[in-house]
Amino acid sequence: MKNFLNGIKNYFKEFGTAVAKGDFWTKSSLLVMGMGYFGRGQIIKGILMTLIEIGVILFTALFSVPYLAKFGTLGTVQREEVFDAATMTKTVNDYDNSLLILLFSVVGMLVLVAFVLLYLNNIKKVYELQVLKEKGKHINSFVEDVKSLFNGNFHITLLTLPSIGILVFTVVPLIFMICVAFTNYDQNHQPPTYLFTWVGLKNFKNLFTNSMTVSFGYAFVRILAWTLIWAVLATFTTYIGGILLAKFINNERTKCKKLWRTLFVVTIAIPQFVTLLLINKMFSDNGIINGLANQWGIVDALKEAGIIAQGQNGIPFLSQPGWAHVMIVLINIWVGVPYQMLIATGILMNIPNDQLESAKIDGATEFQIFWKITMPYMLFITGPSLITSIVSNINNFNVIYLLTNGYTTPNPTMANSQAKEIDLLVTWLFTLTNDYSNFKMASVIGIFVFIVCAGITLIGFTNLIKGDREEEFQ
Amino acid sequence: MKKKVLSLMLVAAMTATLFAGCGNKDEGTTNNTPDTQAPAAEDSQAGGDTAEDPIANLIAATEGTVALDLWCSETPAYQEVMAQIVENFKQTYSEVDFDITIGAQSEAECKDRVLEDVTAAADVYVFADDQVTELVNAGALQPVEATYTYNPSETNSAGAVDAASVDGKLYAYPLTASNGYFLFYDSTVFSEEDVQSWDALLAKANEAGVQVGMEMSGAWYLYGMFSGAGCTLSMNEDQSNSCDWNNETGVAVAEACAKIAADPAFINITDTDFSAKLAEGDCNIKAYVDGTWRSGDIQAAYGDGYAATKLPTFTVNGAQVQQGSYAGYKLVGVNAYSENVGWSMLLAEFISNEASQLAIFEATGEGPANTVAGSSEEVMASPAIAALVAQSPYADPQRVGGKYWDPAATLGKNLAEGTVTDYQAALDEAVAGITAPAE
Repeated sequence: MKNFLNGIKNYFKEFGTAVAKGDFWTKSSLLVMGMGYFGRGQIIKGILMTLIEIGVILFTALFSVPYLAKFGTLGTVQREEVFDAATMTKTVNDYDNSLLILLFSVVGMLVLVAFVLLYLNNIKKVYELQVLKEKGKHINSFVEDVKSLFNGNFHITLLTLPSIGILVFTVVPLIFMICVAFTNYDQNHQPPTYLFTWVGLKNFKNLFTNSMTVSFGYAFVRILAWTLIWAVLATFTTYIGGILLAKFINNERTKCKKLWRTLFVVTIAIPQFVTLLLINKMFSDNGIINGLANQWGIVDALKEAGIIAQGQNGIPFLSQPGWAHVMIVLINIWVGVPYQMLIATGILMNIPNDQLESAKIDGATEFQIFWKITMPYMLFITGPSLITSIVSNINNFNVIYLLTNGYTTPNPTMANSQAKEIDLLVTWLFTLTNDYSNFKMASVIGIFVFIVCAGITLIGFTNLIKGDREEEFQ
Repeated sequence: MKKKVLSLMLVAAMTATLFAGCGNKDEGTTNNTPDTQAPAAEDSQAGGDTAEDPIANLIAATEGTVALDLWCSETPAYQEVMAQIVENFKQTYSEVDFDITIGAQSEAECKDRVLEDVTAAADVYVFADDQVTELVNAGALQPVEATYTYNPSETNSAGAVDAASVDGKLYAYPLTASNGYFLFYDSTVFSEEDVQSWDALLAKANEAGVQVGMEMSGAWYLYGMFSGAGCTLSMNEDQSNSCDWNNETGVAVAEACAKIAADPAFINITDTDFSAKLAEGDCNIKAYVDGTWRSGDIQAAYGDGYAATKLPTFTVNGAQVQQGSYAGYKLVGVNAYSENVGWSMLLAEFISNEASQLAIFEATGEGPANTVAGSSEEVMASPAIAALVAQSPYADPQRVGGKYWDPAATLGKNLAEGTVTDYQAALDEAVAGITAPAE
């Protein structure tokens, strides 16, 4: 933290020196960004810099400013139209679109921030050139600069595209989504026809409110808990299942290893959502499994034992809380284990043989070898992927959504906030946006999903995978 | 959310480039008014002097190809008949070049697709009437302020017009009037007396060893039980609901529902599951509460015994009460953001006129909303439509805010599964959820 602050301090200090000690060319760069380059003979670079400056100014003045000016209110003019029955055409007023105002304001601000950084850097760069010139050192020509991008500065070339991608496809939507959480963008305020506006922290208060009518707080706590339990269970059951399966197939007493491996890989070849939809149909209240269970009297037996309610048509595999929770985890094992098996097979084959052999010579049992050598090795190699799979399981939309299509919660309080016991935060978010156009609450939930995922990733990566542990396995 | 936002971003980015393109030509980028009116308004001045007739004006003002998108049900029958109707439309206005694309979009989910991005949705779309308030609320429907070829408010049944209106203003063109539900039964098992009441129906079913089904856990079907007994549910102006199901009558209805559900012959089963059972071939459900969309499957399964009638009565506080229902309509809407509002309105009128409604009935079996078409002999000959007409005095238009569905489904599920012990408490909680403020 201290380093960070010092870094910022130095950054502005350097900028200050550059301004103070700069000559005519450097100082005039404060106005026209390319001047410093013109003065040192870097004409093309100077032109490019000036063009960027002009471009940003034009973009901001012509495009961003009209949106930024309305950022405070997110628009005040609502769409109004007049239909002319005689000509069958209509006139529409020049209305505000809150969504576009918010979006382009965010874009405009990001462009400005990027420009300020570029501007500050530019002055420093120009001052460096001035110093070089004063010392009589070589100043790169444009061609040399371009060449350096493929040589000494190749990292800049490589990182440019991904950085732009992250900025456009991750950072902008993220900031946009965070902004929506502070607005009243919902079914009654839908652009382009209607306006939405800022409401401060009201939505966050709602998420922690638990009254008879607003039960978001009640649902949120339960869904968050199930999301975390699910993520841990889903990750570790498939992980351990995959390793065990790989071990069994790799065992020297197993025959036709390739056949088994292929069989399990075939399950990957079938698209996951097809499998899930089929399983959903099979285990539904009136599905094949329940048809058989009814025929064999299992359902009646369970009813008599009081395990399932009298009004049930079958065993509520995917339609009652508890049952559905267990089934989802089990089905996920079935769907996820083959992937883990493939990964584990590769890693198991790479365990240094000398360790295994020396352990055997020392008289270790199979279990001890597995527990003391194989597992630590596996955990070390797969640590990062474990964390990412926990995070991806937090957001495992497919499994939950496809399996519990048609699930109705028996809990009225959950129903009052459009939530279900088996919802993950993401599926709840999906229902709120897709079925109820409740974008504001969805954004609030989205922020919490982000916090949870970012937290787990940070803690996981800093604690689990420390760089110095590598020697342990050498 | 990310995906949603991403698609939004993409759309926004595309719109941005679009505006940027416009902005270069005519100065300024602040203007984000769709350019619907500009060219048409100009041209109409030229044609306006020559004719009083708006359609002639429109034809005169139209230049080049008119591209229209039309969304209707994905079923093959619908797609085919719509293609035919669109052909007729093109012939009727043969002076103009049309490029009409028919998209497949289930009416039940039309709202979700339209609201994803109104500006990118189809010019004309067919949707179920329960979505009308939400579509109006999002400004996605062009009000029917003027009509040109016929007057939908006069030719269609009052219920259909009511269902297409919000606050007395017509927002869509009624198309079919058969999205309600009633009772299908196998007349080889049940007599006409048996299907008059749930008591008789269930008694006979037990005797014959067959089952009687209804999706009691579905909020849409559950409504009929409460409305039949006189309980009310209505939508307020702000889209929240008013509901009195937790009064004494409501408690009695809930108990009656639970009693029906507890009968061994009763099965609580969704329409999709029921149709899957029909397809399997050995379906033991010989009477089922469903709508015209399933009539083909049921007719195939019941064969000669295929019959339909109004919903049965059921016992509340010792008296027989007629089970109510929701009346359902399919409506044709014009997108308020359509670039060719005039032609979209004419297309919508054409699709929903008497001849087209009859053609749709012949192709799909769905009853027309048009009163003349609806009372034609061939329509009345259909048992499903006759049942629907018999049920219509007890059917209400579906006017309910979004907060109704989840709490009511939960109530229905708990009643159907017999897990409710304190009816008053269960209803109190459901009503609290249903009447929750719309924020």
